[in-house]
Amino acid sequence: MRLGRTATILLLLTPGIGLIVFFIGAVIYIAIAQSFGYYNLLGESGYSLEFWETLTGRKAYARSVRYSLYVGFWSAILSVALAYPLALWLRKPFTGSLTVSAILKAPLLVHGIVAAFLFLNVISFHGILNQFMVWTGIFDEPRRLQNDDNAIGLLFLQVWKNMPFALLLLTGAVQAISDDVLHAAQDLGAGAWARFRKVIAPLSVSAMQAALIIIFIGALADFTFQTTIGPTNRQSLAQYMTFFKERGRWNDAAVVGVTLMALSLVGAIVLAAAARLIFRGRLR
Amino acid sequence: MIALHQLNRGLMIALILICALWLAIPFTYAVLWSLVDPAEPWTPDNLLPPVMSFYRWEFAWQNSLLQPALLNSYTLAPTAAVMTLILATPTAFALGRYDFPGKETAKLVALLPLVVPGFVTAIFFTSLLYQLGLAQYRFFAILLAHCILFLPFAIRILTVSFEQVRQDHIDAARDLGAHPFARFQVAYWPALKPGVMATLLIVFIQSIEEFAIAYIVGQPGFVTVPTLLYSSLGQDFNRPNAAVLSLILLVPNVILMLILERFLKSANPALASGKG
Amino acid sequence: MPAISIIDVVMRFDRFTAVDHVSLDVEEGEFVTLLGPSGCGKTTLLKLVSGFLQPTEGRIEIEGRNVTGVPPEARNTAMCFQSYALFPHLTVAENIAFGLRQKRLPAAERRDRLADVTGQVDLGDHLPKLPNQLSGGQQQRVALGRALAVRPYVILFDEPLSNLDAKLREQVRYEIRKITRDFGLTAIYVTHDQSEALAMSDRIFVMNGGRLEQSGAPEEIYRHPRTRFVADFIGSANVLDAEVVGEIGPNLWQVTTALGPLAVSSETGPAARRIPVAWRPETARDGAAAHNTVEAVVRHRSFQGHFTDLIVDAGTTTQRLQLPRSAAREGAQITFSIAPEDIAFLEPDA
Repeated sequence: MRLGRTATILLLLTPGIGLIVFFIGAVIYIAIAQSFGYYNLLGESGYSLEFWETLTGRKAYARSVRYSLYVGFWSAILSVALAYPLALWLRKPFTGSLTVSAILKAPLLVHGIVAAFLFLNVISFHGILNQFMVWTGIFDEPRRLQNDDNAIGLLFLQVWKNMPFALLLLTGAVQAISDDVLHAAQDLGAGAWARFRKVIAPLSVSAMQAALIIIFIGALADFTFQTTIGPTNRQSLAQYMTFFKERGRWNDAAVVGVTLMALSLVGAIVLAAAARLIFRGRLR
Repeated sequence: MIALHQLNRGLMIALILICALWLAIPFTYAVLWSLVDPAEPWTPDNLLPPVMSFYRWEFAWQNSLLQPALLNSYTLAPTAAVMTLILATPTAFALGRYDFPGKETAKLVALLPLVVPGFVTAIFFTSLLYQLGLAQYRFFAILLAHCILFLPFAIRILTVSFEQVRQDHIDAARDLGAHPFARFQVAYWPALKPGVMATLLIVFIQSIEEFAIAYIVGQPGFVTVPTLLYSSLGQDFNRPNAAVLSLILLVPNVILMLILERFLKSANPALASGKG
Repeated sequence: MPAISIIDVVMRFDRFTAVDHVSLDVEEGEFVTLLGPSGCGKTTLLKLVSGFLQPTEGRIEIEGRNVTGVPPEARNTAMCFQSYALFPHLTVAENIAFGLRQKRLPAAERRDRLADVTGQVDLGDHLPKLPNQLSGGQQQRVALGRALAVRPYVILFDEPLSNLDAKLREQVRYEIRKITRDFGLTAIYVTHDQSEALAMSDRIFVMNGGRLEQSGAPEEIYRHPRTRFVADFIGSANVLDAEVVGEIGPNLWQVTTALGPLAVSSETGPAARRIPVAWRPETARDGAAAHNTVEAVVRHRSFQGHFTDLIVDAGTTTQRLQLPRSAAREGAQITFSIAPEDIAFLEPDA
């Protein structure tokens, strides 16, 4: 009977979770194996550290790691930092709050590539931003704002696209905190900042972690924004990996791919742990 | 009280203004660019394009890869939606109606496709296809990858739906002598329906929008609307064409998302959006 | 100087008036109750005192200082919430010390106060636990301890016992009363439970529809309800519409009611010719007496242990009485009487 039940459950899980495990497992396995020289499409296969050694020795690799971490980290932090005050503002419904929240969340409906295109239009050399700046006299003449070296435009777009997602998660979490609990804190002498720091943030830390992790991984592995509006003198990891793949250098692509997965994992854990330590003062 | 009220009003007006700039101006630009007639280019000294027509729309329709892209996207998406639903249902049933050790772990494992970066999945899935010698079946490869990529959403939503099926409804139906089908109709379906609709819509939208897999696995030759738009932003950047493609990608999704929002509200407020 | 003065306070939400021209004083060390049905404005009044709401009109003074406009965090009050409102992410110790941290007290003093308070509310073994690991009664004590730890000038209770089961409720009543007495705290206690109010308070303020109906010591409110509402709400008295016939003796008045002619004892006399009168079910006496003997038919009987509840038809009305030992069955004819001093004139209807 018990055995039958276990078998039934396993059978039920197979087409869903089973498929996921098999597929994602195969993908991760291939990536790791290829980074160590196995499964070569051309030439010999066999264990080799050569690809890791040559690639990690390269400046371009280190630059690309640093750059992707920079984009991932700041996209996540800025999106969440911007979403928090808005979530608190929208905690209680008021006249027009639904409209506000709909406007704020609208970028969720806009595809990333479309967003990149819209952004290009606005900041292009003859775009409205440049015209406005020249008209107000802040700029003497139109400037080239596209693909700026510090990736400010890219970060702006990342935040534009991801902030609504953070807002969605945080609004739910912040609304779940009862008025009584906030009142109790206030009654015991906690001002606005103390209420945020000691009560609101610790109680919404799970949503904060989820937002940080998901935005971080997305931005870390970004390809489309980087190749359309990112700095031309930098390469993101996904771009670097695609570069190798297009030249048939699967082993090099695999090294970058495994790096990307490892950074996602480590970065996510670090961000989640940091958020919890800062706002809860303990890890559990 | 009064001051707070006024503050809120002020904040709101400021916010709506910013958002008009935030959304309205970029979109107006996109629409205007899509209407630029090639007879006369839109130069920065003009506020509006000097000549406007639907030429770009017609051109895009007749001469670019738009038709195959639309065909591919809109065959892929509904197929992926239905297949994902079928694949996810047994798992969601198990997670929603049974208690077993490791259930929480199973729920976490189901989120794996969301955590592995899309380009990593795309590239090494392609590699896998080459290893297996299946790289020429692009449509089916992308379909399979989409199903797996969006299974987490389907499993999540349907699990909640199955949890909401009330045991006392099932028991009452049995007590009153209902056959399995009647039981399904009266106890399961009302709880499942919003979840099923939401799953179909979410997978549909996600599949239409998906870029990494379609771009990497589809190379060369297989286009979907996002990959076509992406290439129009690349080497042969043509602003009016890109504007047309942007709007084609955008408008149906906005409509679908609005429908989705209604379903999700009735299914589970916590999942108010499937985007991630 | 009263500890708290509420002076002609009005609180309006849009068109709804939750508190309507209420004035009251609470003396230092006094334990007062705001008693009334839900929606009577008692919780709103408490929120006005704690500072979560600002009055539309009027002002509030604490320790003789006008606190209108002062936010809750700057008021020397502490509140015990109906939901307890414990911080779920903090341990019992951290919950209790929360207010002390906000006051930036030195660590040594925080420790001392924590030790003091945990002794008072008997939570010694639970300090490292999280609130969700405690029972309802224990959570209630944490909420009380958290409020006591800041040594407030005024402690405010918002129906703190309504989530406890009946037996525990009686015990916590005594604890709350003992602690407030020991600390010499001024307390305002909001409840809709009349027995809680009668058992705990130095003074009761009965509220209805945003207005103050009557205030006084528990015995006075019980014995001498002034309005139809107070008579009915506290101890569900029998209220009858009476017409005054005249004075028939020293402080003794003759009235006619649906129950028949009655003699009412009153020092002040009736305020109008048509006036409601009230008497309490437990004041009925078995058998005939010199005044107010009533013949009745038992319509419904329910045995309650130390008394028997009877619903009877008498005169042209239905009344409720409680007799200590009555063998009367349903349908039986009984005779009972009410002493004139147990019947009270109420305020005439507006």
